[in-house]
Amino acid sequence: MLPTLNITGDVVLVEHLSHRIGKLGSGDLVLVRSPLDPNRTLTKRIVAMEGDRVTFSLDPTRSFSSRSLVVPKGHVWIQGDNLYVSRDSRHFGPLPYGLIEGKVFMRVWPPNSFGLLG
Amino acid sequence: MGEWSSRVIPIVRGLCLLYVTHKYLGTTVVTYGPSMLPTLGITGNVLLMERISTRTGKLRPGDVVFFRSPENPRRVVCKRLVGMEGDQVTYVVDPKNSYKCNTIVVPKGHVWVEGDNIYNTKDSRNFGAVPYGLVEGKAFWTLLPRRDFGSLAPKPK
Repeated sequence: MLPTLNITGDVVLVEHLSHRIGKLGSGDLVLVRSPLDPNRTLTKRIVAMEGDRVTFSLDPTRSFSSRSLVVPKGHVWIQGDNLYVSRDSRHFGPLPYGLIEGKVFMRVWPPNSFGLLG
Repeated sequence: MGEWSSRVIPIVRGLCLLYVTHKYLGTTVVTYGPSMLPTLGITGNVLLMERISTRTGKLRPGDVVFFRSPENPRRVVCKRLVGMEGDQVTYVVDPKNSYKCNTIVVPKGHVWVEGDNIYNTKDSRNFGAVPYGLVEGKAFWTLLPRRDFGSLAPKPK
């Protein structure tokens, strides 16, 4: 999630209200439960909501080719900010909305980057 | 002031206990719909659901589970767990029209669920394997209807 979040050691505040009342949108940083390993949570950015068309490049280091699809009902498309190393919806497909745990809205540590995120 | 709070505080404590039980231990669920016939009727089923098995990973094929629908995140769906990750599942693609079968391997981190009433159900054969993170709990006891009181029936062969 570079450059938004550091490699390790960032402490962020997550709120659990927005996803319950449906106020999430593209551009939001969210905490999600991984569809590949249910014991892991990931922090990614929502790029597209259900019904939106998303165009993405599977491997930006290898080629310029891109693919495009429409996000199915009840799902969102998430991507890490660091496209070169992130494993996200480009690899495991659209994420069911029910796996979203909360929205990241603020960073509290390290103190020199204290402030609102997203 | 003291008298008012001595009445409210036990109520608040009771609600907190109820909430923690509902979120982490289990709760009662009312189900409806024909997709789990004959195990569950179309209406009038009250089941007890527990969340401990899902958290400790003790779910097994044959369990009746509740999960958040991948198509509508506001709905909780009740189906039977048929395959865990890595299992090979063979299912009839469209039982009303043909005998054609399909075999898949359940991907990592997912489960395969099917309704007992394969003629009238939307399940993994429609929306694919369900990520394990969407599974909410396992049904372990039927309260109503009275004649089904007790643990749930296994899947009819």
